[in-house]
Amino acid sequence: MARIATCWTMLVLLLAAELVAARAGLGAVVCVLAVLMVLVIVLGFMQILRAPPLAIIFALGGLFWLAILLALGSLDSFTRTTVPVHDTAPYAPAVR
Amino acid sequence: MPDSPVLDHHSPYETPLHRDESAIAGMWLFLASEALLFGGLFLVCLIYSHTRSAGWAEGVRHTNLVIGGVNTMILITSGAVYTMAVEAGKRGDNRRVVRAGLGAAALGVAFLVLKGVEWALEFREHLFPGPDFALHGPDAGAAELFYSFYFLATFLHGMHMVVGIGLILWICRKARHGIFGPAWNTPVDIVGLYWSFVDLVWMLLFPLLYLLGRA
Amino acid sequence: MSGTPSPAVQQRSYLWQDGTLRSWLLTRDHKRIGLLYLGSITAFFVLGSIGAALVRLQLLEPTGAILSDATYNRMFTMHGVVMVWLFLVPSIPVTLGNFLVPLMLGARDLAFPRLNLLSWYLFVASGLLVVYGLFRGGLETGWTFYTPLSSEYTQGRVLPVVLGVFLNGFSSIATGVNFIVSIHQLRAPGMTWYRLPLMLWALYATSVIFVLATPVLAITLLLLAFEHLFRVGVFDPTLGGDPLLFQQLFWFYSHPAVYIMILPGMGVVSEIVSTFSHKPVFGYRFVAWSSVSIAAIGFIVWGHHMFVAGTSLYSAIVFSMFSFFVSVPSAIKVFNWLGTMHGGSIRLDAPMLYAMGFIGLFTVGGLTGLFLASLASDVHLTQTYFVVAHFHYIMVGGMVSAYFGGLHYWWPKITGRMYPEIWGRVAAALIFFGFNLTFFPQFILGYEGMPRRYATYPAQFQVLNVLSSAGAGILAVAYLLPLIYFTWSLFRGAQAPDNPWGATGLEWQTASPPPVENFAETPVVTTDAYDYAARDGRADAARVDEGAPHA
Repeated sequence: MARIATCWTMLVLLLAAELVAARAGLGAVVCVLAVLMVLVIVLGFMQILRAPPLAIIFALGGLFWLAILLALGSLDSFTRTTVPVHDTAPYAPAVR
Repeated sequence: MPDSPVLDHHSPYETPLHRDESAIAGMWLFLASEALLFGGLFLVCLIYSHTRSAGWAEGVRHTNLVIGGVNTMILITSGAVYTMAVEAGKRGDNRRVVRAGLGAAALGVAFLVLKGVEWALEFREHLFPGPDFALHGPDAGAAELFYSFYFLATFLHGMHMVVGIGLILWICRKARHGIFGPAWNTPVDIVGLYWSFVDLVWMLLFPLLYLLGRA
Repeated sequence: MSGTPSPAVQQRSYLWQDGTLRSWLLTRDHKRIGLLYLGSITAFFVLGSIGAALVRLQLLEPTGAILSDATYNRMFTMHGVVMVWLFLVPSIPVTLGNFLVPLMLGARDLAFPRLNLLSWYLFVASGLLVVYGLFRGGLETGWTFYTPLSSEYTQGRVLPVVLGVFLNGFSSIATGVNFIVSIHQLRAPGMTWYRLPLMLWALYATSVIFVLATPVLAITLLLLAFEHLFRVGVFDPTLGGDPLLFQQLFWFYSHPAVYIMILPGMGVVSEIVSTFSHKPVFGYRFVAWSSVSIAAIGFIVWGHHMFVAGTSLYSAIVFSMFSFFVSVPSAIKVFNWLGTMHGGSIRLDAPMLYAMGFIGLFTVGGLTGLFLASLASDVHLTQTYFVVAHFHYIMVGGMVSAYFGGLHYWWPKITGRMYPEIWGRVAAALIFFGFNLTFFPQFILGYEGMPRRYATYPAQFQVLNVLSSAGAGILAVAYLLPLIYFTWSLFRGAQAPDNPWGATGLEWQTASPPPVENFAETPVVTTDAYDYAARDGRADAARVDEGAPHA
């Protein structure tokens, strides 16, 4: 019970901090806080450390493949050579 | 998922504990799979929010931060309340499972209702992408992309909420018949994992949809 | 172990205990679910083959022999979609895998029997939806559903197919979760990881891909459907989206899916090669870990499908490099199979013929893949028949051969009947011959520049195309043969002994066909996989006990 209350309080505080950081325009801080909230949920509510060891393996595996998806999936977009065109909507449809 | 505390003759397990551990591990594996499902959405967001950042941020500024923030609070609370049901299940306290479960489900419904209100406001303001999209100017195209992502992501998350609420009600029905005990409460646990996961996804979606780029 | 199972064994067999239709449709027995899957994917295989036959008939003549251009496009799409999602991806895992995973582990069933049945119903529903979509309206996009062709041009005809493939994905995920948890949790006493049959390592690696890649396909198709239904831009450039993003997401699933379509075949071949060489697999641990590393590296090579799509040079170089990496574990497998056969006492029964066909054809398919992984040669070869030949060598020459090999190998265990050996060998030889006649000319066609997916072609390519179509005819006959003699053997085949091939592995220690509960008592494993000395010792002892020599 105390554990749940602690986690809830932490989440609320983190949410408040997120709002403040967003107001201040600190995008990176918002991201860190969001990851912390996820950690609180995974450790506090889902209690991954008390689950069978297999669960931890599966969770880490999912995280690893998620990282691959995001890293290699965005590689092309972030390194692509874009040829500038005057119209901001270069493929604007003829008829809409 | 097992539906009774005892092993039937066809069960592949040696002991109930063995079965329950497998079920929990299996749920985590399924959640890893779910993470990749949302991963595709996050990739869309990651790419467009960088390659089309100006219009994307303009879209973020038009979302309803009040409703979004309240909804985040509601989900945090709902997750906490359902975790109480999980604790009660461990003690075999079926009545508390029902009460906490119904509380969590009600908060879930509140989230969906607020979300519906938010959607209705956005439709009225013509923020749904299309020919009469409300925002104009050089970055309107990217703002439309943002709103495409916004509606897709909230829809997909909302569908998960609906499934989660259904699962919680199913648990409550079982608990009303008093079938959980200290020796067997795996379904309560497993639904808790799912509900927390839905919670967790929102904790990532909230900053992406409402915060990053707002200032 | 006697040659003909006693009536008592037959009565306990999973096949005949409670033979009502209801008991089959509501079964939780992994063996019966495997057979349900076998029936359904056979139907889809026939359907997909009809598509292939029409495509090959059309290409007999440069101007197109029988179909209109639009119908031709629909036929190769139908062939691709049906073969990939309704046959190749499920093939070995859901039939042989479902049947064998618990038997090989020494378990009574998979970890989640009801989830297993659910996966079959999802599969059937998805199959019907896909077929409905393909025939009600038709689809011209090819199996890749590239945008904006699929979203702009098809006017919604893509939706039922996409929804079907979406459902199909959840069937795959269910199977994957089931296999992974079973292999972790349900190993018999003494069955350590390094005593697992290599088939299970391969299926484990396949399941990882099922679980972690399939959801990305699901979300991709969902985005596609959303885009079409609500006219919101995600991929469509006219709505501001990036069509290449669709390809990134699609291939994040679909390249690993290529390994879904080959890894289980590699597992089957490892079993067969070892049994028919009567020798432990050479370098067991290398073969086992090469399955895992193929699955892992397979996730980071998808960009090689997009070298000419306008992706950045950095991304192309990275993906090209990773694509070369994946050939290392593949080559380890090939060399280790050859090492296993070297010095073995090889018997050329039908399963072994299929396995040897697999090794040769997979090697050709794999080596030609290197041409496509190289940036420079890919520019010339991509979107030509070279690509078509390359992946058919992997998927048909490789996976379908392994699938048939595995069916022959475990047929006695599954049905309790022997198939006619002579016909098995004839079909295997015919498939090998017909396959090469069909697809080898396509390498030359592609090298000479014939693009894929066109209903017509310049007259200079006709000779090679006619050769290819003739090969397809032979292939069709060769695929019909097993259908006929397997059916025949169900009624007239000789009774199968428990272990007709003298193989190791727990599945051979129980009756043929196995009883409902798989093993009379939970087996205890004391030896490595493929320990033929121990097995032969046990077999000799059993013969002495029975007092009657038996071949």
